[in-house]
Amino acid sequence: MAISRRKFLGSLGAAIGATTTGSLTKAYGAANKHFNGYPGSSGVLHDTTLCIGCRKCEQACNTVNDLPQPEKPFDDLSILDKNRRTQADAFTVVNQFGADEKVFVKKQCNHCLEPACASACFVKALKKTPEGPVVYDASLCVGCRYCMVACPFEIPAYEYDNVLTPKVTKCTLCAPRLKEGKLPGCVEVCPREALIFGEREALIKIARSRIQKHPDQYVDHVYGEHEMGGTSWLYLSGKPFETIGMREDLGTISAPELTSGPLSAVPIVVGLWPVLLTGVYAISKRKDKIAKEEKEDALQAASVQANEEMNQKIEVLREKMTKEKTAAINFEVKKALEEAEKGKQEE
Amino acid sequence: MIKKIIFFVGLATLTTALCMADVWKAPDQEKAKERAKEVVSFIKEYKDDHKIARKISLMDAGISLKDVQDVYFLMDSPIIKDREDHYGPVRFSHKRHANLTNDCSKCHHYRPKDKAASETTRCSACHQDSFNPDHPERIGLKAAYHQQCIECHQEQAKGPVDCKGCHLQNVPDHKELVKLPDNPDAFQVTAECLRCHDTQAEDMLTTAHWLWKGPSPYTTGHRKDIMHGKGSTALNNY
Ligand code: HEC
Ligand code: HEC
Ligand code: HEC
Ligand code: HEC
Ligand code: HEC
Repeated sequence: MAISRRKFLGSLGAAIGATTTGSLTKAYGAANKHFNGYPGSSGVLHDTTLCIGCRKCEQACNTVNDLPQPEKPFDDLSILDKNRRTQADAFTVVNQFGADEKVFVKKQCNHCLEPACASACFVKALKKTPEGPVVYDASLCVGCRYCMVACPFEIPAYEYDNVLTPKVTKCTLCAPRLKEGKLPGCVEVCPREALIFGEREALIKIARSRIQKHPDQYVDHVYGEHEMGGTSWLYLSGKPFETIGMREDLGTISAPELTSGPLSAVPIVVGLWPVLLTGVYAISKRKDKIAKEEKEDALQAASVQANEEMNQKIEVLREKMTKEKTAAINFEVKKALEEAEKGKQEE
Repeated sequence: MIKKIIFFVGLATLTTALCMADVWKAPDQEKAKERAKEVVSFIKEYKDDHKIARKISLMDAGISLKDVQDVYFLMDSPIIKDREDHYGPVRFSHKRHANLTNDCSKCHHYRPKDKAASETTRCSACHQDSFNPDHPERIGLKAAYHQQCIECHQEQAKGPVDCKGCHLQNVPDHKELVKLPDNPDAFQVTAECLRCHDTQAEDMLTTAHWLWKGPSPYTTGHRKDIMHGKGSTALNNY
């Protein structure tokens, strides 16, 4: 039986108590196997040759996710003049490339088949669902922001303004809407079907047939079919992808696979630390060979800082929990004493 | 724009007066509205002609401008409206387009396989819901319009490409927006509209409505003027 790495990871959590050396070796073997995604999982095909940069997807995303109104309205297209990235209050942005012939590209979480963010997350606040979306559980998040460092597409953002309960934010592929049988907000609103929703496998077929039918209009490549081990979000373009702001240096191996070793299969916080660092390192090495050393330093600094911050957070949590526990115990003791007192009086 | 606005104010008072009476309706528009609501059954099989072959077969079938009966269509299909409804109907000047293009195959690009069917079957017979898994290559009706209409307008650099060019705004109810004292004078009304419509007011400043001047042989008291007009001697009110 070919057991997929991810399924394996899922079941491992439960089995970890009874781990034997035998199953650990198996884990190692499975971890090195290439994962081709969940069968039947959905995705979106973005045909950039059809996009006219109307920003309706941004608007729909804003509405669907109850985000604050932006300073400039969505029908102000002058915003396209500068290159933007996703923000805590904008899960998707449309960017414009090219001088004469304009190309518009929508940017959002690509929902990798094997997400670097999820593997960097040691509390499993981010996870890939079999339906396609990579989802985030704020209640588990400790705010370390490793996902932001790990993501090769620079997608997750952080609510720095939210002092009390900051969250990591990103496109959800409208997982809640999908559950209700609705389309993702951006897909539904797109006037030209520059965004197509469907099963990933079917989308790849559609993309291929478009390239075949109009070889003069398309670059012969479906971006996301293999990049970073494959993503749920796929792209077609008439211009080389690197000229429309999409990295072509990512390789076809997913981040978790790159860092896979015996430890990566062990979902224990302590065990994951070294993997995490090598993982982040491995990606950053590909990211920028030239600025490698600088990056490493920066990363190290970032992780040290994040480490500290997390320790502080845990400390606060622990303190809070201890306090609550003491309070609860005190309360129970008090109640018991009172009851005893009452009993005494009744006697 | 402002002219439209001023007209609109007059109209608003008029319509309140007329509300009780039976309002006259344009018969062609009523017909177009009815037509817009029709949903025809889905055509699965189509004749996969090459562009040129399609053009020739339309000519062979003797299809030409004389077959264009409708001057315009209102497009307001329930196929789309069931999902989203942001705007009113889109007015498509069919005859004008057929005349301009003089090539029916540019838009009527495929025909049903069934020989008895019309050469110029409406788009909504083949393009209905988006992402139909049984016909993955077939785009939905909304995208069929937006791709075909906007692409040609872009190519020819003629015809609207931005949303407002084809879609009327869903105009908010001005009964609630406009705040005026009883019996306001003309300046008060204009000032009130300008409170929100300042961009339109600025647009107005560059138009002939604001700037016109010239001979005015039909204007009482100015018959002999050769440079009378809003741009010279007459009054602009803001
Ligand atoms: C610019 C695009 C365009 C061109 C050019 C064009 N048409 Fe059309 N035509 C349409 C659209 C769009 C509709 C469908 C309107 C609807 O379904 O509401 C239509 C509808 C029709 C219909 C009515 C179909 C029905 O079953 O109700 C006829 C007949 C027709 N066209 C004939 C022609 C002929 C003949 C020509 C060439 C001389 C022509 N058209 C050129 C876009 C075009
Ligand atoms: C008899 C069926 C039929 C009718 C009628 C029809 N289409 Fe299509 N249309 C198709 C099919 C099939 C495709 C997919 C072709 C493919 O790519 O394989 C298509 C594709 C398209 C596309 C995608 C780009 C392209 O040209 O391939 C557009 C845009 C489009 N149709 C618009 C329209 C419009 C607008 C009308 C009405 C004026 C219309 N169609 C009428 C069958 C039809
Ligand atoms: C084959 C090319 C072509 C296609 C397809 C086309 N148009 Fe046009 N359209 C034009 C041209 C050219 C003009 C400019 C006419 C002018 O300015 O004299 C125009 C003008 C217009 C205008 C403004 C003037 C008017 O007639 O009201 C509207 C609105 C419009 N088109 C709507 C549409 C819609 C809706 C569709 C799709 C159903 C469509 N067009 C498809 C070529 C096209
Ligand atoms: C060339 C004309 C044209 C342009 C430009 C255009 N549309 Fe449309 N649009 C149409 C037509 C035709 C329909 C079909 C109307 C129907 O049948 O309900 C439509 C339908 C729609 C609908 C669904 C109907 C509704 O009322 O909600 C939406 C949403 C829409 N358009 C959004 C846009 C957006 C956003 C833009 C600008 C990026 C845009 N359109 C530009 C012609 C146009
Ligand atoms: C409180 C703000 C406000 C005031 C005051 C106001 N409007 Fe508007 N008006 C709007 C908005 C918002 C829209 C819809 C969006 C747009 O077209 O800018 C609109 C749209 C319109 C339109 C339709 C434009 C179109 O594109 O179809 C007309 C006509 C109009 N207003 C006339 C008036 C007139 C006349 C007055 C003064 C008596 C007035 N408005 C006062 C806010 C206002």
